Amino acid sequence: MAENEALGNPKRRDFLIKATAAVGGAGVAAACIPFVASMNPSSDVMARATTEFDLTGMNPGDMRTIPWQGKPVFILRRSPEQIAAMAASGGGHDPQPDSKRAQKPEWLVVVGVCTHMGCVPNKEGPGWTCHCHGSQYDDSGRVVRGPAPKNLEVPPYRFVSSDKIIIGEA
Amino acid sequence: MKKLIALLALCSAFSTAWATETKLEKIQVDTSVAAVERGIDTLMGNCHNCHTLKYVKYRNLLALGIKKDKVDAWRGDQPLDAPLTGLLPDTAAMQSFGKIPPDLSLMASAREGGPSYVYAYLLGYYITPEGMPGNHIFPETKMPDALGISAATDAAQRAEIQSKARDIVSFLAWAADPHQTERQQLGYYVIGYLLVLTLMLYFVKKQIWSRLE
Amino acid sequence: MAKRIIDWIDHRFPLTSFVKHELTGYPTPRNLSYWWNFGFLAGFVLVLQVATGIFLAMHYKADVTLSFDSIQHIMRDVNYGWLLRYMHSTGASAFFLVIYIHMARTLYYGSYRAPRELMWWTGQGLLLLLMATAFMGYLLPWGQMSFWGATVITNLFRATPFIGDQVVVWLRGDYTVGDATLTRFFALHYLFPFLIIGAVLIHLVALHTVRSSNPSGIDLKAKDNIPFHPYFTAKDFYGLGVFLIVYFTFVLFFPGSLIEPANNIPANPMQTPTHIVPEWYFLPFYAILRAVPNMVGGVVAMGLSVMMFAFMPFLDRSRIPGGAHFRPIFRVQFYLFLLDMLVLGYVGYIPPTSESIVIGQIATLCYFGSFFVLPFISKAEERWLIKRGLPPEVQALIASEAEEKSRRTKR
Repeated sequence: MAENEALGNPKRRDFLIKATAAVGGAGVAAACIPFVASMNPSSDVMARATTEFDLTGMNPGDMRTIPWQGKPVFILRRSPEQIAAMAASGGGHDPQPDSKRAQKPEWLVVVGVCTHMGCVPNKEGPGWTCHCHGSQYDDSGRVVRGPAPKNLEVPPYRFVSSDKIIIGEA
Repeated sequence: MKKLIALLALCSAFSTAWATETKLEKIQVDTSVAAVERGIDTLMGNCHNCHTLKYVKYRNLLALGIKKDKVDAWRGDQPLDAPLTGLLPDTAAMQSFGKIPPDLSLMASAREGGPSYVYAYLLGYYITPEGMPGNHIFPETKMPDALGISAATDAAQRAEIQSKARDIVSFLAWAADPHQTERQQLGYYVIGYLLVLTLMLYFVKKQIWSRLE
Repeated sequence: MAKRIIDWIDHRFPLTSFVKHELTGYPTPRNLSYWWNFGFLAGFVLVLQVATGIFLAMHYKADVTLSFDSIQHIMRDVNYGWLLRYMHSTGASAFFLVIYIHMARTLYYGSYRAPRELMWWTGQGLLLLLMATAFMGYLLPWGQMSFWGATVITNLFRATPFIGDQVVVWLRGDYTVGDATLTRFFALHYLFPFLIIGAVLIHLVALHTVRSSNPSGIDLKAKDNIPFHPYFTAKDFYGLGVFLIVYFTFVLFFPGSLIEPANNIPANPMQTPTHIVPEWYFLPFYAILRAVPNMVGGVVAMGLSVMMFAFMPFLDRSRIPGGAHFRPIFRVQFYLFLLDMLVLGYVGYIPPTSESIVIGQIATLCYFGSFFVLPFISKAEERWLIKRGLPPEVQALIASEAEEKSRRTKR
């Protein structure tokens, strides 16, 4: 076979072929980028990545569920008793101070998806109960009874004004 | 790339348009953001009253580089993801014109001649001997002379209207093909890369084939 | 380590022997010209179309109320969606360009002759599958040209005897081209390329049985064959580089040039565009369809014009191998045929005038005439060339073929 014959300068030939393969390989890799990138959320989906919510009309103890990025978000307006109870408690299986979970003590914003298998918990008495496997969360969204391993997720949000929040933006 | 845009801007500044002739004069579209922004300023004033641009969203204008307060003023309380809907309801349009004004998102590429067609059309209005409005490019049009070219009296007025038309066409060309700049940029890199690679492949081929006696 | 893995596989799967037999040790005539690159290019464009098509299908919606909008969504919102779309639309044209050149090479060099008839016929099948795929794909954007092109072409099936009207309704799934048509065309447009892949594999199996022909038309001695790898892999990659430069020039600088302006208008069943015209690769056949004043006649002529190619192995009766290489009259016929195709393409493109109709009819007659006179001209040319004197290798080939034939008939 011709491969065994040292025709021409073998070192130079090898280098040329290797260099060309490298340049070609780089092109193939770059060509994959548009295909993979096209599977990422498109710009219209990204534009809908935030949701505004008007807090007026909610009384202490009220809870609303609103959609954000297709998931339910619980907005809880906590009464002074609830605030005090949550400040006193450190949580359950996933200890975390309440102050870290609410920007303003009166308002709790958590993603209403159970950290166990993803069901949506129901508001029952103090906190929430997930009826899929019995996990329980307190009025700070912290898990107090398993099998859920972690507290309810606090999404990025900020107060646009005293009675308007935008979820999805820190 | 900047040189190309400057050249295009220069060409468009010097070109004159005999727009009343039915033969389409090919215009150079100014693709600079400034021209596109002037275009949408004019459009929001003139065309937006009747025409929608359902595929252009307010957030696209932001991405183009138009200032946020300008965009917010145009969109009012509509979300950023809302399209540029026109102000004329369909029923009113049917009553006034007998036809719903076509959507303009793709107008710059939906006619033979592309942007040159739109330019010639906007400036193609004239007054018939009977005093009725007519258009050289699209005689059956129900659209009134939005830019007022048929009423232009002196050269200065005409030049101003032509410049407005040019800006509108710049905007519509962007609206029909918002990724054009990105695409052409990629084009220079891709073709450059392929020229290098093909040259290398040529030498590899020559090398391998030199093994034959 | 790599050798151990390959040995493990080789015990269970003919990997090394396959690569040796079909690639690194596969004998290929050393004199193949660049016209032989186009088979590989066709395979590459097929992969390109399938890849871009699958990723486009992740965003496209096949519903009359949604399809046009979904394509604008792809063009504007999907990351690099505009690139995928333009690659796919340009790729369709590229596919036909490459295939037509590939066919022209086969006709010119007589590569359809024995023993390569099955290669030619599997290729014919591939062409039909490709045309069907392209036709169905063109409906998907649901533009004015998409809708009316599909309406005109599905209407042609009315020419079917006795059941014509029912066939058209059955094809469309509705009395007019509508949602049912769009949905099924999408399903089939996704399916057909995989049928094409299967047919390509059959085409390649046939190729590896009869081996490539070459520009001289005469099978080279064994010593004049060289292994496909690395010689023709290198040549194919170089040719691919040249192709990609042309292809991406269109994709990235002139993508709109291959898209009819009317297709940027959503389909309107109430209004036909003034000028319906198919994509360029269908123009000659469209011209033949319009050349015959009778509808059934037109459909038959158009169908026949595509199928005529299949008869080439029988129509070409010359025993002189190599196509146009040794046959000056055949060469002239070939170039005249190409010219005729260009004339037909132009006639198909422009709106019909009284002059263009006549030109189209003459060009159609020339088209079919080329095929019909071939048996006679090829034989006459052979007699003339033998009298004039043939190169010794051609004489030897004719003599051995005649001997082979008489040996077979004696048995």
